[in-house]
Amino acid sequence: MGVIKSEKIETAEGSVVLVSVTDGAGIIGTCSAGHIPMNSDEASVTRLFYMGNDPVVRLVCPNHGSRRSDKLASLCPGFEGSDINLREALTESFDKLTRGESLEAGLHDLFPLLQDGVYAVYTSDYYPTDGNGTFFWGAYNISHEVRGTAERNRVIGKDRTYKPCFLIPSEPPGHYSPKIKATTDEAVKTRRCQGIAFHLTGMFSVLLKGHHGAVSCVEKDIPFKCAVIEKITEPYIDPPLPQVPNDSEQPAPAHEGITGFRSPSVKVPLELFPWEMLLNILGGRAEYKPEHFNVLLKKLNTVRKKSVTNNVIPRNVLEKSERMPDIEMMESTGAISGLSDEQLDALLAGDTEYDGSVIISPNLYSSMITACSYLQFTDKNRFIDFAIKAMSRPELGATHEYIARRASAVANSAKLYKFFKDAVGSGDIRFEKITAAANRYIADYEAANN
Amino acid sequence: MAFCDLKPVSVTDENTGLTYIIGSVFSVCPFGANSPKVYSWGQVRSISASRAGIVVETELSAYTLKSKLFSSTDEYLRAIALIECAYKKYKFDYVHEKRLLPLKSLYREFSQGTDAYIGECEIDGNDAANAFISLMNVKLVKLLWLIALLIMLVTFGALHYFVGVTRDNLLYFIPIAAASGGIITLIVYLICHSVAKSKFYRIADCDPAADLNITFVVSKFGFAACESATYQGRDLVPWSEADYFIETDKIFIIYKSNSPIAFIPKKAFGKKFAGGAADILALKLEQR
Repeated sequence: MGVIKSEKIETAEGSVVLVSVTDGAGIIGTCSAGHIPMNSDEASVTRLFYMGNDPVVRLVCPNHGSRRSDKLASLCPGFEGSDINLREALTESFDKLTRGESLEAGLHDLFPLLQDGVYAVYTSDYYPTDGNGTFFWGAYNISHEVRGTAERNRVIGKDRTYKPCFLIPSEPPGHYSPKIKATTDEAVKTRRCQGIAFHLTGMFSVLLKGHHGAVSCVEKDIPFKCAVIEKITEPYIDPPLPQVPNDSEQPAPAHEGITGFRSPSVKVPLELFPWEMLLNILGGRAEYKPEHFNVLLKKLNTVRKKSVTNNVIPRNVLEKSERMPDIEMMESTGAISGLSDEQLDALLAGDTEYDGSVIISPNLYSSMITACSYLQFTDKNRFIDFAIKAMSRPELGATHEYIARRASAVANSAKLYKFFKDAVGSGDIRFEKITAAANRYIADYEAANN
Repeated sequence: MAFCDLKPVSVTDENTGLTYIIGSVFSVCPFGANSPKVYSWGQVRSISASRAGIVVETELSAYTLKSKLFSSTDEYLRAIALIECAYKKYKFDYVHEKRLLPLKSLYREFSQGTDAYIGECEIDGNDAANAFISLMNVKLVKLLWLIALLIMLVTFGALHYFVGVTRDNLLYFIPIAAASGGIITLIVYLICHSVAKSKFYRIADCDPAADLNITFVVSKFGFAACESATYQGRDLVPWSEADYFIETDKIFIIYKSNSPIAFIPKKAFGKKFAGGAADILALKLEQR
């Protein structure tokens, strides 16, 4: 049985619960499977997320496992629930959390099943999609590159923290049952916590428990709030503060070494770690192969049993998933903390700098799309105004198609309808790139309002 | 990443009161202090590893971990393995003595596949030295004949110059010239033998792994020659890291850039399977 210690600390990102696991059973976790011949090219390495004896998610990491590259993700046989201890621990933890118990108390039975290490535990709202508009339960049947799975997000950069918010299922899609959904439809209305998620890579976590609840939450527009377990392994170094000239002309004291350890959502300076937890990180590795690694490897290539069933996830859930915030929006919120009207005007004028500093990026196209994604997520009205202004300027023609596609996802806006109607009606060649999206929007708007 | 599950190594220097932890990061913990100094491997400027110990240099500090601080040779070698894996990723300056086994930075994590030959034994110094000698024989054989011939001619010439060849002494001078050529060639040959032997023992003396049990693997995807206590079962040096191999009656020697990177004794696989391992080697590398 593992030794669990937990402590609440205050960091720059707010308060966070740290949980240290020593002598953990290691039956939930990730491990490297190296290069698997026949499955990937020579320069790729494979990582597995496993639960008990079941390989759940396979990540093929291209470019020699570069942390900056997005991964190819696919669901393996998935968690079949054959490990009774694990299944019971998950159910018990989930029941406690739904009743409103604290994270430490609620997840107490689950922690000893993790690998040794230090974990940050918190609650966060998740979008049960693959970050690209597809409902998560069924989005990973075929191995494909999933944007946002890189550990170091190129848009957000290596120094900022971000909250992972997209999901990968641990149960195979064949486990979906309308009968269970009927019970969760009622239950989700009163639950304090809708699921338990384990952070896997980049913006993505694996949902350990609460799959049917996710279907009900999307259908009923209830936020899908999860208890998240995130392993803290990566050392980070804070960029040096700019030198402030002073009278004494004393040089700043020399400092070397790392600042602390981090996970995607939290940075913990070394001095904030309780001593035992710090030793646990220093004396451990990011991930371990479990004792039953060979069993996982053997199961890895087994074809998942196709369920003979008519149980299909409801259409309205799939449609609502398409309109949920996508990976680009979440990346933009991680990359920028705010955009003033003056900065937006500068971007529209073709400038990437305002008041002597770069607004988003030195690249105008990249700045425009990040600004669009950010505004769409944070303020719909500002986004519509910005989109209309951008699409009216011929010099920003390279961005028109992208902005029109993004704008067309905003349902039922009279302003956009009028703009698109005028643009299509004018027959002006400068609106050529937005015509397809505009026609679709006009048709949808008219169908919805007539 | 190869060797990614290796347990970090912690050593304490009683004299300085510092505890060093070599793992995913390099940490220096002063006794009684609650805030250690932790370096990412990217912040390490250089590391030199020898039988005497390990010296880690950062921008402002240098730390010496004497080998006697490590509780066992296995632990010392595990620390070296962790450093070499970090070296692969961070490319700091790494100075090391000659090695009998491939550097851990050459390894990649592979599935060994079904056609892998796996064995375990110590590297017999005599076998490896004899392999060097037989290699030298192959290279020297023409040269030795040439030396013998030249010495014969020179001796015969010298006898003619100083004594003068006549019909009476010709029958004595020919065997004398032949014998002197043979003797000098034999001396050259013996010198070369001792050089070859010392060449192997010089390498073996530098590498603490020379006296340990080594795991050997030959598979379609690569090979391994690694201390058994460190080996994790899935780490292989891909064939692309080697140039050619040489086979003697007792050992395979794998070369890269004309330097031996691995000695694989046939006895590790047993008589029955050495042929299979040789087949894979011949399939993957040029044999010289």
